Amino acid sequence: MTFQISDHFLHLTIDGRLYNESIIYKCFYWYTREFTVNIDLKNETSYNISLQPISKRESSYNWGEVIERIKRDLIDFRLRDIITKETQTIKELIVAKAFAYYDTEDPLTSDVSDRVGFDPENV
Amino acid sequence: MKERLTRKFLPPDIFKKSAGDTYYLLPFKFHRITSKKEVLINEVGDFLIVPVGTSALIIERKINREDHEELYADLIANFFISEQPIPALAEVLATRYRTKKSFLDYFTSLHIFVITLRCEHTCHYCQVSRVTADKSLYDMSKEHIDAGIQIMMQSPNPHLTMEFQGGEALLAFENIVYAVKRVQQEALIRDKTVTFVICTNLAPLTEDMLVYFKQNNILISTSLDGPESIHNKNRHKPFDNSYQLTIDGINKCRKELGEENISALLTTSTLSLQYPNEIVDEYVNQGFRNIFLRPISPYGFAKHNEKKNGYETAQFLDFYKKALNRILQHNLNGYFIREDYACIILKKMITPFPVGYVDLQSPAGLINSVIVFNYDGKIYASDESRMLAEMNDFTFQLGTLGYSTYKDVFYGTKSIEISEVFLNEALPGCADCAFQAYCGADPVFNYATQGDMWGHRPTSSFCQRNMEIIRYLIELMDSDKKIEKIFRNWITGKN
Repeated sequence: MTFQISDHFLHLTIDGRLYNESIIYKCFYWYTREFTVNIDLKNETSYNISLQPISKRESSYNWGEVIERIKRDLIDFRLRDIITKETQTIKELIVAKAFAYYDTEDPLTSDVSDRVGFDPENV
Repeated sequence: MKERLTRKFLPPDIFKKSAGDTYYLLPFKFHRITSKKEVLINEVGDFLIVPVGTSALIIERKINREDHEELYADLIANFFISEQPIPALAEVLATRYRTKKSFLDYFTSLHIFVITLRCEHTCHYCQVSRVTADKSLYDMSKEHIDAGIQIMMQSPNPHLTMEFQGGEALLAFENIVYAVKRVQQEALIRDKTVTFVICTNLAPLTEDMLVYFKQNNILISTSLDGPESIHNKNRHKPFDNSYQLTIDGINKCRKELGEENISALLTTSTLSLQYPNEIVDEYVNQGFRNIFLRPISPYGFAKHNEKKNGYETAQFLDFYKKALNRILQHNLNGYFIREDYACIILKKMITPFPVGYVDLQSPAGLINSVIVFNYDGKIYASDESRMLAEMNDFTFQLGTLGYSTYKDVFYGTKSIEISEVFLNEALPGCADCAFQAYCGADPVFNYATQGDMWGHRPTSSFCQRNMEIIRYLIELMDSDKKIEKIFRNWITGKN
């Protein structure tokens, strides 16, 4: 990841192999409150991102702090991406089970009602 | 010979996995609540407060049973990780997810009838009322009342709430009596239970009305904006003292109907934001056991003004925290009083049950939980939708009483259009938010403040407000066990 500050812009280049498109968009979505965000594909493996403060008072910006926040947020969104991918199937299973339409369940049938051998008809 | 089965527990070693064995992630999200702590929240709203960086350790498989015994046990027990690809208690998790969404089971429950638009107050934050004696122009006609009741009775919900609003609802008391009688007859035929609520400033209250309310188990909801100076500035009644009328009315209702059948709501105005402690103390002095610190309403002041809305959101959050701390202080001093907005969120956090607060649900409460029949026969998706209509914006108008069928209203083109944006699970920003299970979607708010139903979370005052309140509640619980106990008492209702 490389950073450059010039003409009141913060320019970043991010390796798309570490942080994919989804991660980058989700992360920088939250920066659109304070900044005008531009995301371009530099090449097959990299993204160019530029941030320009919406407020005209650029001198009040601590770019160092912004860079630290970006690094932290990118890691967080990458972790979230890992969770989402790893848990997609189980999540779909849970939701499907939650809203499956259950018809009247067939009563369980077995020789005994209790697996340790208790026979309720022979007390 | 068949091995004899036994009830004895198997030895602990059978259940232990070795340090090298991996575990499987279950769906969860995380969010930093302070510089040192983060909160993990699973798909059904269970949460764990842990040191910052714990989520990374979990995901990187650096947690194990031996070195992190307590954390590991918490993660397993609370469905954050599993030792099998499909957890043994997957059915329990699914049932809990279903329970969280069970408010959808029976569809619309709350039916608001704006019985009149006439009012004798001139509350400065009200956008909808008219001061006039012309009943025919601003009262709901009996034909519209009948049509509204017909639609209400078609709801699949066996438990309905019929809420009369205004203007000042009691100015059309005869129509309320007519409507209640009709509904009671219909409810018997259709085997439904109906709860009646009247929203009133209590100024027109008479002894006959009190007798009627008691006979028909009608609940009263009124407004108390704080001490006299604040209340009267917010809710001016020409040539009279609105505060005194309200207090007198509350006392009469308590005496006649019982304390549990009268509630008061606070409307937070810009003036209110300067007096959090005074407002809380007023509620305590008047003997209330709950106060609802409702967010400031965006309808009426500058729409699409992000800067103004953002400033006022920051002010509201400052007000909320100060007021909440004052409420907690009263509780610590032995006076039980709960804050209702916090309770809504805490109930979602601490219990497996959903909450019937329509402004903080996903799928959103509009249409699914509430519908509004206006005095002029128009049907709206929510109370705020009709406020937009008063500003000549009919985006959320769903139909007309006497013309539109139940299907037209609830399954028509507009309802379907709104349904595409009323799930926070599918909204940008919300889809990955750790607080998703505690929050909701509000397409009307998004539209009114940001120009479209989707909304833009980074600049949304709905998002900023709820994220900060939820974060603050978690931080408070983590910081002081006494506060956690107070919060739990609020949910259980124990005094």
